[in-house]
Amino acid sequence: MWPKNVIQGLVASMKLKKLKIKKNGELLVGGLICSTFFIWSIFWFIYSTIINGSIKSPFTPKMNMKYELILPFQESFFLGTDVYGRSLFQVISSGVSYSILISLTVSFFASVIGLIVGYFAVSGSNFIKRLFDFMTNFVFILPSLLLAILLMSFSGQSFLGLIMVLVLTGWPAYAKLARGETKRIMGLCYLEGARAMGASRLRIMLKVIFPEILPVFIVNIILGLSGVIISEATLGFLGLGGSEYSWGVLLSMGKDVLLEGPHIVIISSMVLGLLIIGLNFFGDGLRDFLDPKN
Amino acid sequence: MIKQNKILNLTFTCFLTLVAIFFLVRMAPGDPVERLLGPEATFEEIQNYRNDLGLNDTVLTQFKTFFLKTFKGDLGRSLFKRKDVITLLSKHFKPTLIIAFFTIFFSSFCGITIGLISAVYKSKKPDHLLRFISIFALSFPIFSLGPILVYIFSVKLQLFPVSEWGDGSFKYLFLPILTLVIPLSSILSRFTRNKFLEEMKAPWIEILKAKGLSNFSINLRVLKVCAPSLLNVIAIQLSVILAGTMVTETIFDIPGMGSLLLEAIQNRDYPVVQGVILYSTLIYMIIYFLTDYVAQKCDPRISS
Repeated sequence: MWPKNVIQGLVASMKLKKLKIKKNGELLVGGLICSTFFIWSIFWFIYSTIINGSIKSPFTPKMNMKYELILPFQESFFLGTDVYGRSLFQVISSGVSYSILISLTVSFFASVIGLIVGYFAVSGSNFIKRLFDFMTNFVFILPSLLLAILLMSFSGQSFLGLIMVLVLTGWPAYAKLARGETKRIMGLCYLEGARAMGASRLRIMLKVIFPEILPVFIVNIILGLSGVIISEATLGFLGLGGSEYSWGVLLSMGKDVLLEGPHIVIISSMVLGLLIIGLNFFGDGLRDFLDPKN
Repeated sequence: MIKQNKILNLTFTCFLTLVAIFFLVRMAPGDPVERLLGPEATFEEIQNYRNDLGLNDTVLTQFKTFFLKTFKGDLGRSLFKRKDVITLLSKHFKPTLIIAFFTIFFSSFCGITIGLISAVYKSKKPDHLLRFISIFALSFPIFSLGPILVYIFSVKLQLFPVSEWGDGSFKYLFLPILTLVIPLSSILSRFTRNKFLEEMKAPWIEILKAKGLSNFSINLRVLKVCAPSLLNVIAIQLSVILAGTMVTETIFDIPGMGSLLLEAIQNRDYPVVQGVILYSTLIYMIIYFLTDYVAQKCDPRISS
């Protein structure tokens, strides 16, 4: 079907890409860590909702005060137990799937809002430009932790409220990025070409500008995931989080029993740190990979 | 000269921040008087107390009184602590100032040095090692780094006391500052490295090389060009730390701005929240203009 040279070109570019991936250690390590965590969270989700519980009450490790604060590798708890006698492995698994779920949802909504606001802050009418610019800068300047604390008290400590709060404080960063990128692309020649060929504004937006922004956006979303995980855990740590499975709640509990059960803080910090390292490596590696200069 | 437009813009935004926080705090559910008087208080008692405090006026009237009083230098009294807000602020300012000063000092020193080393040895072993360490350090958020450091230094090595402020001498200061310095210096080192390598691509470097300058003096000149943007990053971090680091102050029980604000928000102590926000916007503005001024002195290109 296809002409021969197209196929040859495709094969060559595939080989080049494989070579690039092999050379890019950060991308490999980061991708490996991230996919491990992702698979872990999916398995845990399936296990805790379908096999060992119901959809209505997911992620519920059993409490048993008899096994309070057991150190690792004792009495069949291979990571020990926490203050309430729950197996630390189960609590951490819940934390992993919980924070991955939250960070993906929040990043999705925040980046979509940011993309739209950022795009119209450049190409909208004069009024919309000013309004969106002002909104972005204003929310950006407000102290985000304070805003989150205040908004959390409106919504109550619910899952949806938490997501809303994190989206509300998270979108301006994406809007700024989208604004800058749109401005850059607006000055490129081929956009003028598209316009000269009579492409409508919608078509230009969807077919010319968004695909061009996308690579930069994806890298920033991946790097932003760790930010969302950290800010969610910060809220949990300060006692304002939406769920008891947040890392922050676990860590603030572990901090209080640092002398009796240091394993809680150490193990959960290690797992959290590993997840964030993985995300950072993956994002950095992906940026190098997608950068045409390399 | 700093542009007048910029001053107006920033003042306006800071004012809006203050207004937004003022209304948000009052709109948020939860009533300070009910908390203050406890669950046994009758409805009438609560209403009387609210009248005394002026909380039964409309929000707009409250805003007007707050605004007029603030201009006279009176920030009101805390609802819970029976002290003037200004006294509270000045009491909580000292620990925050000490911590901010040492943190910024050490992290700028470490961060810029590490960044320079890894920029000079770009893509060689020291660079890889230092970049790995900085990513590793960045990956532990403060609330997990703090307890780990406490565990290592206080519980295992027994060098420093566990999470207390005491009289604020060196042994109480060390761990909180270390907790803040580690992430901050890795941010700074990454920024220094990228900025330095970016400036190294400029065409005037070639001229310096052609003139036969040594590598050391070329690096020194490039560093001077990087200085304004480094200063900018440091200044932003300084204003963030001066506004109070809630998490660090919670971990180490430091009576600073962050813990004051957190407690005030949880109690809905309106005057204190307003006072702290006013203070932090003022700090932000002062640091912003100072940095602008110094940056122009360093690099005359900026003012044009």
